[in-house]
Amino acid sequence: MRRNQGCHQSDHRVARRQFLAGAAGGVVGLSLPGSLAAAEKIKGQHKRVLQVYLQGGVSQLESWDPKPGTEFGGPFRAIPTSVPGMHISELLPYTAQYMHLLSIVRSINLKINDHQQGRLFMEKGRRAGEFPYVGSIASKYLAPPNSELPGYIHISTRGLNDSTAAFLGAQHSQLKFEGVKPPKNLAVPQGLDQTADARRIQLRQQFNQQFRRGRSKSLTESFDASFEQAAKLMGRKSFFEKAPDGKDLERYGKHDFGRNCLLARALLENDATCVKVTHHGYDSHAENFNFHLEQLGEFDKTFAMLLSDLHERGLLESTLVMVYSEFGRTPKINVRYGRDHWGTAWSIALGGCGIQPGAIIGKTNDKGTAVAEREVDAGHLFHTYLQALGIDSTNDHDIAGRSIPIGDPTAQPIKELLA
Amino acid sequence: MNVKQPATADAIAAQKPLVESTLIEPAKTHQVAQFKHSVPLTTCRVDPTGRYVVAGAQDLDIQVWNLQTSAQRTLKGHTSWVRSFDFSKDGNTLYSACWGGDIKVWNMADASPEPTMTIAAHKGSARWVRLSPDQTKLATCGNDLLVKVWNIADGKLLQTFAGHERHVYAVDFHPDGQQLVSQDLMGFIKIWDLQTGKQKRGIHASLMTGYDKKFAADMGGARDLQFSPDGSELASAGITNVVNSFGGIQDPIIMLFDWNTGKETAQLKPDKAFQGIAWGVRYHPDGFLIGAGAERTGKGELWFHKPGEKEFFHTLKLPRAARGLDLLADGRHLVVPHSDGSVCTYRMTAKAKVFGT
Amino acid sequence: MRKLLCCAALFVVGAAFPANAATPLHERIDSAVGVGNEQFEKTASTLADDATFLRRVTLDLTGTIPTSDEVRVFLADESADKRTQLVDRLLDSPEHARRMQYVFDTMLMERGPDKHVPAAEWQTYLRDSFSENKPWDVLVTEILTADGTDEKTRPAAKFLLDRELKAEEVTRDLGRLFLGRDLQCAQCHDHPNVNDYLQRHYYGLNAFLSRSYLFKNPKTKKTTIGEKAEGLVSFTSVFTQEEGKTAPRMLDLPEIADPEMPKEPYKVKPAKNVRSVPVYSRRLQLADAMTNPSNVAFQQNIVNRLWALMMGRGLVEPLDMWHSDNPPSNPQLLAVLTESLQENDYDLQLMLREMALSKTYQRSSHVADGAEPAAETSFGVGLLKPLSSEQLAWSMMQATGLTANTLAGLKAKQIKADAKKKKESPKTEDPAWQEEALHAALNRNVTTFVKTFGTVGAQSSQFDASANQALFLRNDPLVQSWLVPSGNNLTARLKQLKTTPEIAEELYLSVFSRLPEKAETEQVAAFLNSPQAHTDQDLQQLVWAALSSDEFRFNH
Repeated sequence: MRRNQGCHQSDHRVARRQFLAGAAGGVVGLSLPGSLAAAEKIKGQHKRVLQVYLQGGVSQLESWDPKPGTEFGGPFRAIPTSVPGMHISELLPYTAQYMHLLSIVRSINLKINDHQQGRLFMEKGRRAGEFPYVGSIASKYLAPPNSELPGYIHISTRGLNDSTAAFLGAQHSQLKFEGVKPPKNLAVPQGLDQTADARRIQLRQQFNQQFRRGRSKSLTESFDASFEQAAKLMGRKSFFEKAPDGKDLERYGKHDFGRNCLLARALLENDATCVKVTHHGYDSHAENFNFHLEQLGEFDKTFAMLLSDLHERGLLESTLVMVYSEFGRTPKINVRYGRDHWGTAWSIALGGCGIQPGAIIGKTNDKGTAVAEREVDAGHLFHTYLQALGIDSTNDHDIAGRSIPIGDPTAQPIKELLA
Repeated sequence: MNVKQPATADAIAAQKPLVESTLIEPAKTHQVAQFKHSVPLTTCRVDPTGRYVVAGAQDLDIQVWNLQTSAQRTLKGHTSWVRSFDFSKDGNTLYSACWGGDIKVWNMADASPEPTMTIAAHKGSARWVRLSPDQTKLATCGNDLLVKVWNIADGKLLQTFAGHERHVYAVDFHPDGQQLVSQDLMGFIKIWDLQTGKQKRGIHASLMTGYDKKFAADMGGARDLQFSPDGSELASAGITNVVNSFGGIQDPIIMLFDWNTGKETAQLKPDKAFQGIAWGVRYHPDGFLIGAGAERTGKGELWFHKPGEKEFFHTLKLPRAARGLDLLADGRHLVVPHSDGSVCTYRMTAKAKVFGT
Repeated sequence: MRKLLCCAALFVVGAAFPANAATPLHERIDSAVGVGNEQFEKTASTLADDATFLRRVTLDLTGTIPTSDEVRVFLADESADKRTQLVDRLLDSPEHARRMQYVFDTMLMERGPDKHVPAAEWQTYLRDSFSENKPWDVLVTEILTADGTDEKTRPAAKFLLDRELKAEEVTRDLGRLFLGRDLQCAQCHDHPNVNDYLQRHYYGLNAFLSRSYLFKNPKTKKTTIGEKAEGLVSFTSVFTQEEGKTAPRMLDLPEIADPEMPKEPYKVKPAKNVRSVPVYSRRLQLADAMTNPSNVAFQQNIVNRLWALMMGRGLVEPLDMWHSDNPPSNPQLLAVLTESLQENDYDLQLMLREMALSKTYQRSSHVADGAEPAAETSFGVGLLKPLSSEQLAWSMMQATGLTANTLAGLKAKQIKADAKKKKESPKTEDPAWQEEALHAALNRNVTTFVKTFGTVGAQSSQFDASANQALFLRNDPLVQSWLVPSGNNLTARLKQLKTTPEIAEELYLSVFSRLPEKAETEQVAAFLNSPQAHTDQDLQQLVWAALSSDEFRFNH
């Protein structure tokens, strides 16, 4: 039998069965990952994801894998952390105090040095093809029914076009916030008061009732669901627009990233499922060190405050925290004091839900030019994120007559990182 | 010996058969010597008596070359890259500042100097160190946003000047010894009164910084700071017109300020094609100004400017990025630290001729 | 092997239905749809009424809803063959070519960003092709053959150029879009879930293009396709480490062996800044192999896609998942359609016409009274089809009267301009002129809808609705601005009307393309006469509620 090596035969059999049921027009009731997560979809208990995306490619040498005093080590030193024996860059003094809540993977080799391809690989766990992002998967399988918020919210100050949901459908694609600005069109049109707005919505419903008689409901129901979700967002307008507490702002920092992280905290506390915050500006082909001082200077304290808040409020157990980029940066320092794109040997940090804290997975060689132990790529990481969240990534998405392996069947999770 | 080849050894101690031109002609500046380290350099300084050149590099060491003999020594002790130096007037004491925040003091008379004192000067990088004109105090600045003044005798902190809101890139004493000047990432220049311990006034060199919207970060600051010998003018080297700072696309600039009025008197920029950073500026005792810079693809240039003129009167193209600049007391030689690990000396006269030809 | 048997079976079944030239295709379609189910007619829905048919077919063939006048005229028309006449008129209109342009642009380019060929040029190329009813095999041959060097055919090269000849994109999309098979998983190993998708299929397709590369002309800066004379495709399974080699091939059709390498293998030799051209081009075999009559998958794919376009669901669904575990829901019908496509030389317009004339197409989307809703795959009931982004934009502009208002303005402007130049202006009555002028004037709105409602990447026939879209419909100023009375637009017309029955009638004809029922007129009256009414917004929001309703959102 030449087939299915590396895939689990039984999963495929199940997938096939469902698939046939779907094709015959039957109801698909056995969405595997969904049912696993169903028990936890109780308000306030459900599993969540916080993604902090350091866009442009943070330097591993200036963050999670410092090599001070070596040929490519750069000017910054390593500092001890709250985990004995674990050192990170001195650019992360606040985060260092909370490393007992996080783990580091130091042995990532993507074999990709392109921003978009690296980003897609890190988000989809596949090198190519149309697959959903981690956030869309979380939205699909983890979001509680009747959630007040969309399942996947991305707070970013700059446009990057992500098509995140693939075959999971638009309701699971990311809802983008431009910074703390709420989504567009939350306010009723000018000249319309609440009463008039309610009247037109009611009238719309009356038109719909007429139309639905004797017709199949699946399409009209999802159209309606989008209106309900829109109404919920509109109802939360003041929540989105609420100015952050002054004390919080002092702790998090008054910059965009501080405000964005405060919004992320508020969203997670209000049962958002996946919140992604993008911190821009790590693509330091020139002046790498001054820029990492600037960017990580902004990131460090804010992130540490957010992490400790999630911990103190008991959310960390149910929230997977990912700090990641599309790749790292070259050990070699170029003539502009820059570091270039480098997917060959770099690091990310993970913590919270399902992740063994305080661990260091893998290592790079002394100069940081190659992975020395436990090489992984984004395919392995992808399985790890999902399994940490209790989603069996070796199962299939079962989408309208199509069964698609959730994670790359040729990759496995980093088992020793899973709690 | 073949004098047509650029000398690779010391050329300051002129070889007997050569007749050195002594007339200073900046337009005839040429390389006369090269000292090589294996790691890209970050800065350099010559001692006031012309015996040594010291250089910081992208490692933890300080390289010292004897300008007469080319003998090389390595000073070990810093825990990070060295970015700034100053010498005592007699050239016997070296002060070095590193990205780790420490200032170290070295007795250059020792055969193999060890730090005689270490001052943990700043939390975060100590970017700059300067000795006071009366040789009693050190001024330093750093990423803790502070400017500090130290007693060099015992390393004790004398004064702290707070007020910069972003990383402080450079600091210097005014030649009158009564004032300090410092400049930060955002181009803010602050003038501090050593008597009162307070800020006296400020100059905003807003041209010398830029916010890159795409990357959401600021870039700027003084990469070198120098007073004219009489203290009437301040020169600051850095960048302007930030287009894509992450790719190094911005223009080098040297700005001149009238010290009395605080008004800018010149914006000196090289040719438009030369995009990068101005890393060094020096006043020549004869009154002209010299600048040095690195282009984004790794080339370098030296620039020469006469007072009152709007443009450089001469530019010397260099194959390697210039990451700083210093001037020998003889007024004829420049030293430049390069990105390829070499320190080169350049002589601002016509080339030497072999006697009798 | 399994697949070959399966195809053979299809032909046997097809043969059981003698191709009778005297029986029009639309009748053969109807026979095939109900075949094997004696109860079919009883359980199937009745034909949709005239107004519903008019709206449905106008949307499907021309991409917008009819105007209220068109509805009135069609309802009043008493000729027996008025549906046939309508279909022919629509197929003949410039709007039809535009609709096909939208459909095939979305299908083939999937709303991706522009790379080397500007979208406008490609769209014009598509529109011209559909307006001359270019046969599908000819169109595909042009698309797969153009190398971008000839300005005349360069737009057709967008498919390959804008995918930058990246193997993983081009190979996958050739399989998905032209053969109905998503071989993506077969890139790294034989598909784990689909027995029919083999690595050699993927690499067989890949081999047509593996020697081709993008070449940027240093002078013109234009990117074109160059090709090498050498290079073999081999592959290794990441599971089994089995290795394989393949020459170009279409799925399980025979490999196309390279001819013996001539002494001089190049017409233009590779060199720096030179686009190399080999004597034997593997890439130029692609179009022939694709459109070769033996390549049944190519024919089945397009009839399935047209069927899905018209009927709301493919015979194979998803459209790119043909394999033996996902057989067509009605193999006989598929055979009828495929044969007909061959017989009629890949005439897409003819296929659309026959589909539109079939009873199957014209069935009501209401389940017959008391009947259980039939399975979607039976095609016994009209299926709801969500309007595409473009259909939604044009329909909203049509319904609100923006289209008519704009056209009136454009005509007046042109007539004035012509008068100045002392020219006569017959062209303002030319439908082609009108269509182009309107498109130019209103395209920006369409783009806004595409951004909001469209998806970039593989298109799904699944209906999707996001909160963003609903917020757009509810609150975005664009749609609201169309509701403000202006000129002779809908709310301006409604404002002129005195009685609520008149208002209800005009509203229903304009927005829903039908007359209101009594209860519906009462509903409108109740809204307008409610104690909370009498704001100047009432008429606008009446129209808004209709525009954002299910009935408007779907083609039903």
